[in-house]
Amino acid sequence: MEAPPVSVMPVTGGAINMMEYLLQGSVLDQSLESLLHRLRGLCDNMEPESFADHELVYLLKGQQGNPFLLRARRSLLHPPAPWHLRYLGQPEVGDKSRLALVRNCVDVSASHSLPEVLNEMGFRMDHEFVAKGQMFRKGAMKVVVSKLSRVLVPGNTENTEPLSLSYLVELSVLAPAGQDTVSEDMRSFAEQLKPLVHLEKIDPKRLM
Amino acid sequence: MMSGAPAVRVSIESSCERQVQEVSLDGLETYAPPLSMSQNLAKLAQRIDFGQSSDEDEDGLERDSREQWSKPEAEEDEGMVKFQPSLWPWDSVRNNLRSALTEMCVLHDVLSVLKDKKYMALDPVSQDPSVGKTPQVFQLLSKKKSLATAAQLLLRGAEKLTKSVVENQEQRRQRDFNSELLRLRSQWKLRKVGDKILGDLSYRSAGSLFPHHGTFEVIKNTDLDLDKKIPDDYCPLNVQIPSELEGSAYIKVSIQKQSPDIGDLGTVNLFRRQAKAKPGSQMWHLKLEAAQNVLLCKEIFAQLSREAVQIKSQIPHIVVKNQIISQPFPGLQLSISLCHSTGEKKNQRASPDKSKPDDHLYVLEHNLHQLIREFHKQTLSSVVMPHPASAPFSHKRMRMAGPMAYDKTEISALQQSEGLLEKIIKQAKHIFLRSRTARTIDSLASRIEDPQIQAHWSNINDVYESSVKVLITSQGYEQICKSIQLQLNIGVEQIRVVHRDGRVITLSHQEQELQDFLLSQMSQHQVHAVQQLAKVMGWHVLSFSNHVGLGPIESIGNASAITVASPNGEYAISVRNGPESGCKVLVQFPRSQAKELPKSDVVQDAKWTHLRGPYKEVHWGRMEGRNFVYKMELLMAALTPCP
Repeated sequence: MEAPPVSVMPVTGGAINMMEYLLQGSVLDQSLESLLHRLRGLCDNMEPESFADHELVYLLKGQQGNPFLLRARRSLLHPPAPWHLRYLGQPEVGDKSRLALVRNCVDVSASHSLPEVLNEMGFRMDHEFVAKGQMFRKGAMKVVVSKLSRVLVPGNTENTEPLSLSYLVELSVLAPAGQDTVSEDMRSFAEQLKPLVHLEKIDPKRLM
Repeated sequence: MMSGAPAVRVSIESSCERQVQEVSLDGLETYAPPLSMSQNLAKLAQRIDFGQSSDEDEDGLERDSREQWSKPEAEEDEGMVKFQPSLWPWDSVRNNLRSALTEMCVLHDVLSVLKDKKYMALDPVSQDPSVGKTPQVFQLLSKKKSLATAAQLLLRGAEKLTKSVVENQEQRRQRDFNSELLRLRSQWKLRKVGDKILGDLSYRSAGSLFPHHGTFEVIKNTDLDLDKKIPDDYCPLNVQIPSELEGSAYIKVSIQKQSPDIGDLGTVNLFRRQAKAKPGSQMWHLKLEAAQNVLLCKEIFAQLSREAVQIKSQIPHIVVKNQIISQPFPGLQLSISLCHSTGEKKNQRASPDKSKPDDHLYVLEHNLHQLIREFHKQTLSSVVMPHPASAPFSHKRMRMAGPMAYDKTEISALQQSEGLLEKIIKQAKHIFLRSRTARTIDSLASRIEDPQIQAHWSNINDVYESSVKVLITSQGYEQICKSIQLQLNIGVEQIRVVHRDGRVITLSHQEQELQDFLLSQMSQHQVHAVQQLAKVMGWHVLSFSNHVGLGPIESIGNASAITVASPNGEYAISVRNGPESGCKVLVQFPRSQAKELPKSDVVQDAKWTHLRGPYKEVHWGRMEGRNFVYKMELLMAALTPCP
């Protein structure tokens, strides 16, 4: 039996072609409280939401140079919640005046058999870490304040040690491509957080 | 005298100013009081040696004053002139004192010469009598002038005081801008952008997704004329709201009979409602609250119109300008309109349909506000927050849709099935149905006196369900005839009736159905009442049927019938009652009382005359008694002979 022909055109529209707008910054441990107070006041009026996540980064090394990277993340506080698989593309090289980092983003919810499936497909886990902190929202914007910890024994999330003495602050928005007002709103929000934390566009390529 | 030793610091301090007069037993020192000015002067003056005369080269002024007496003494004093430079500042004092002494001596000499009256005599100086008495006009004028100067002084002082008070007040008012700003900040969200103070009056931080920015600007009120009196409601702070949010607005929900002309749509009268000003609240507060209300009404209306266009329903909703019209029931029209009056120019447009203010269903307007706030709260609930944190915002259960492979029905079951418009239409339907049911019951109760219909409405209701207990009774016989008790549950489109005997009947929204049903129940009640009465009176029920198949067909329900026999069996009463045909009562007499009895050869024995024979109809209308059961009781009593 022949397999039915598969159209080569990729799926467009809907929730597939989403771009992630990102601004990052960091704040030292001792200044965390004031930042949290400030965020509590600026963001939507909700009880602050704590989270604890375990993220595994999978790499698929092909013949070409760049390996393909996928991030699988699960919640430690809510074990029954599904896993979250994320693909982040290359940052868009647009005009330099673009205020936030824009990259293509694909989000998929997955069941708890995700690590096995990825292993079967050929992905190999590159590294893993545990992120704990709080998240806030303001409209469509999400602010995540997290402390990253290194997992000492692979698979054991109890035994972790913090990577640094500071917290990572990320301001992100998921929006369809081509909306520039989003970065304006993000910048004005980031202005309000100065001088507690400076959120800026950090190109991951420059860090490597 | 100066030695080569290093310089020693010498500190000089004044000695104790006052001398200690005494030291009391508890160590308290009493100082001698310091000398006053005059005492000090006297002490110093004592040191002056007045025997020394002054020098020749002095100021000319002082020389002139001494010229009168110094001339005869000039020769004598020349030898005694001694310049005393230490007394130089006191020289004038000494000279004046000396001249005064000289004058006193001269006066003394003159008086002593006068005493003898030998060489000098005193003569009084003649006074001009006209000068002595000053005319009263002059006195008046002088008094007036003095009073005027005094008054002027006082007025000037008072003016200075009032000016300083006014200045203080003015300063306080100017300073009040900051305190007003503080008060504003305690109630509204403010932020500083450049040199402007902007605020946010939208519901976005409360969970709204309406795209209006809702920013207002805070400005200082500087148009104050200091010369004029400051008005009572003056506020140093003013807010500038976006032009589209000015004025006041409300959502009007009303149910009317269907208007025959569809061209009338869209002309909703802007019935201006005055905002009630709470005492003590500032202008800016009222302005901001009104603008926020306008924004919320716009959001509600935008949501309703979006749903009206998108949701498919059997009868489509019409959205015209600022009005949404839908048909909850045939012949009925529900209109939801956004009434926004800017308040600048009076809109005196007379609307074609002069709807009464009672037409406005305030409950539904309030419910609309509550529903949109519920919707806001849902976007802010923690159910939306993603775990793990990198996932996008979505409902907790929707995230499971992928891994659990939900199909379309499950996903649609998860999502919010009813929108704002549907909810409001359902509520409006229920309100209308409830009011119509009440009207039906009340009209029946007022129209029909026998039997009586009572309605007990339950206080606790739902937005979609109310209930009422209907009792059909006869006056005076409530305890005996209580077999017809109906519980009506009024829903959105139907009325569910639960009978006391357990039957459940569902009525539609038609008014006629309920009316017919109640009428049929009333007629059944009469027959039931006879049954209960028979038990009390000792009569025996021979037959009873709720729905007889004999006789003329009723258009509403069925007729019921009962036959009861007297205790001694001689008489029997048959009753047939129908909702339309009314009641028919027949009495069966014993054969002995019948007048025209056919003589038959078969029935010969006399004992057969005790059996009941022919029927005779009762003229029920001419019976005594105020209601059916009373009449029946009288009839039964009449047919039961005394033992």
